[in-house]
Amino acid sequence: MNPLQDMERASPLATETGGAQVDEDQVRLAPTGLLGMVDVTDRHGNVQARLPITRWPVTVGRALDSDLVLEDVHVAGEHLRLTPARAGHISVQVMDTNNGVVLGGKQYVRGDVFDWPLGNPLILGRLHLNLRLANSELAPEQRLPRLLWRTSISTIGSVLLTLLLTSIQLWLKIGDTQNMAQELPVVLGGALAVLVVWSGLWALATKLFSGQSRFWRHVRIASLAFVAADLMEFVAELLAFSLSWENVGRFAYLTLVLAAAVGIYRHLLVAAPQSRRGLAVGVTVFVLLGMSTMWGTQWLKNKRLSNQLYMVQMFPPGWRLPIAKPVSVQQFLGEAAGIEKRLAKRLLDKRDESGADSSADEVE
Amino acid sequence: MRWLTVGCAVLSLICVCNAQAQTKPAPAAVSAPVPALLPAPSVAPGAISQDAQRVYEGARDKLVQIRTVLRNSDTQASVGSGFFVSQGGLIITNFHVASQLALEPDRYRGVYVPVDGKEAPVELLAFDVQHDLALLRVKNSGAQYPSFRFRGADAPLAPGERIYSLGNPKDIGFAVTAGTYNGLVLRSFYPRIFFGGAINPGMSGGPVLDEAGRVVGINVSKRQDGEQLSFLVPAEFAQALLARGADAKPLTQSANAEVTRQLLVHQEQLTQRFLTTPLKAQKHGGYSVPVFDDALARCWGSGRDADFKAFDLERTNCQMDSYLFAGDITTGLIQMRYEAYDGPKLGAMRFSQLYGQSFGNERFAVQGTRTMTAAECSERYIERQGLVMRAVVCISAYRKLVGLYDVSVLVASLNRPTQGVQGRMDARGVSFANGLKLVAQYLDGFKWEAPQ
Repeated sequence: MNPLQDMERASPLATETGGAQVDEDQVRLAPTGLLGMVDVTDRHGNVQARLPITRWPVTVGRALDSDLVLEDVHVAGEHLRLTPARAGHISVQVMDTNNGVVLGGKQYVRGDVFDWPLGNPLILGRLHLNLRLANSELAPEQRLPRLLWRTSISTIGSVLLTLLLTSIQLWLKIGDTQNMAQELPVVLGGALAVLVVWSGLWALATKLFSGQSRFWRHVRIASLAFVAADLMEFVAELLAFSLSWENVGRFAYLTLVLAAAVGIYRHLLVAAPQSRRGLAVGVTVFVLLGMSTMWGTQWLKNKRLSNQLYMVQMFPPGWRLPIAKPVSVQQFLGEAAGIEKRLAKRLLDKRDESGADSSADEVE
Repeated sequence: MRWLTVGCAVLSLICVCNAQAQTKPAPAAVSAPVPALLPAPSVAPGAISQDAQRVYEGARDKLVQIRTVLRNSDTQASVGSGFFVSQGGLIITNFHVASQLALEPDRYRGVYVPVDGKEAPVELLAFDVQHDLALLRVKNSGAQYPSFRFRGADAPLAPGERIYSLGNPKDIGFAVTAGTYNGLVLRSFYPRIFFGGAINPGMSGGPVLDEAGRVVGINVSKRQDGEQLSFLVPAEFAQALLARGADAKPLTQSANAEVTRQLLVHQEQLTQRFLTTPLKAQKHGGYSVPVFDDALARCWGSGRDADFKAFDLERTNCQMDSYLFAGDITTGLIQMRYEAYDGPKLGAMRFSQLYGQSFGNERFAVQGTRTMTAAECSERYIERQGLVMRAVVCISAYRKLVGLYDVSVLVASLNRPTQGVQGRMDARGVSFANGLKLVAQYLDGFKWEAPQ
């Protein structure tokens, strides 16, 4: 058992004690004479300096007579002064600095005195300050990351699902099943290679930003995105066929865009977990910009948003629902007569001519 | 020259079918090569050469080369041949030689070059798109020109009769080639003479003469997938154009309206002919699909492609042998294609995948061009006598030939889980209403008859 925790339990609750008593508390609960510990880290969490606190107040700055000397040109000679406040809190006095300090997104300037609830880093210059007091409660011991059954099963499952879908696609497309034995290993190997390279690149990025690679998590995200894209496209095409909703079929590629966007968002979230909202906004903006650019170009060029002119995907005839009732040739051609107006519009629009010149005026 | 490039693109389809269908006949001629130096045993070569020489001598001062020249850069855009038909300087050539003068007179001008080589400007008086003829006149000239006479309709040629084609092939120099008259081409929409002799790019518009030096036809095109399969416009159409256009004013404005008018007349005749000639039924499994009557066009079929082991695929390709030329566009023709699939071993799901792939790889005009708009489509499930099909109609409009359209219909049967037939018909250069009539006739030709 942790002796400090026991002591904490035995002592009166810190919040109920008065300000004067706090100091005594701090002193009393430091049997080793150590009042606390300040860690200075850079933005990536690497420790730059560390100071055991044996007396209050603690001065922080670049000047060599500071208690904690920081090597950062954005830090003033005497930047901060820390004194204990009520239990678990430190009072921070901002000294003669231009840059001030930031706590929880709030900027404090020269002359400010504020309360620092420990646990949040104090930012000065490019450095982060973390303080742990001798009497503050320790965070429980974290388990070492272990191979968890559930996680490994879901990883294996999602990879297997990806491979299964790839195999089904191959089986559906291949004309001759005798070639299946030859082609399957190639296709599955290719799919695995793509998955590994893709996840590996994400793992590299994650390692760069957060220190851990989290390769398998990326594998899971990539395979699930693939599976989702595949299934959504299948559903869209099936809807198009069974209900004669040709536009759903012509825009089935949007399901791929959606799955890719969500997948990339999840990848990014693993790489940089702290900026959830920023990533969501970023990916959305990126997708919207990309789609509008693509649609814009297509519209300018061809006056349509999908280059697939008609519904292509076919399913067994029995999968057509009775709602998608076939019509007579007369009715079909009656509807097709509407094309004349649409073409008249195209004839009016000269920009439609921009396409390649079909005439090859060659003498020989 | 342009013509033959265009012609090849269209005819290559026929070439392919031809090659596939006629694999059996052995090349007999190749088996016994004759040394080149040996004289041909039956015909005395001297006699032919003398005849050709006589014909050429009689024709050389009436024969010209026709060039279209870019006004800005003075470079020649196309070359063809032509010949004088009146003392007043009237020249007959092909429409496809002079089409740029008709359609883009502000960019092109025309010149003629006689055998002795002095270039002089010509102007366009009239043209006949249907028969591919144009009537030109030497510009601002009071001179007298020697001219050809036509062989009268009262003296028809006999098959096998020797005739002589003249012109300037590939801009190399004036040439005469001897060949034979083989009657009219079967299944040509307009009469065409089948000439057994070689004509080459650049000879288009040149005269074809009988032994007496009278014009019997005008060089127009050839098949690239054979030897000495050449086609001539019968002289009577040149005479008609001459009679009609001799006193016409020269064309100075773009003649799109007149080209359109003639093409509209053509498509009306074409549509009427197709609508009044019932389509034949062709069987594939339990399906009956419509194909052209033999009098209109030929169909070539190929069965059981060895590349596909898991299913049977039968293909049919039907195309008219004739088409029209309107500047950049080859038009005025109808064609159809079928693919019949049967894959009982595949199972419904895999069959439908394959069937959808085949349905999806059809090409339509996704993008517009200078001459055509992009296609607009309409699609539906349709039913005819219990046979459910997916049908797509895609139509593009001609930009400059207002009122003409390329109409395509694509259809796939959807009544059997592992069997189906897909068809496509293209009618190029028809009016919107006629296009839909042809589609209706086509779709009405599909039937399902339960297999025996």
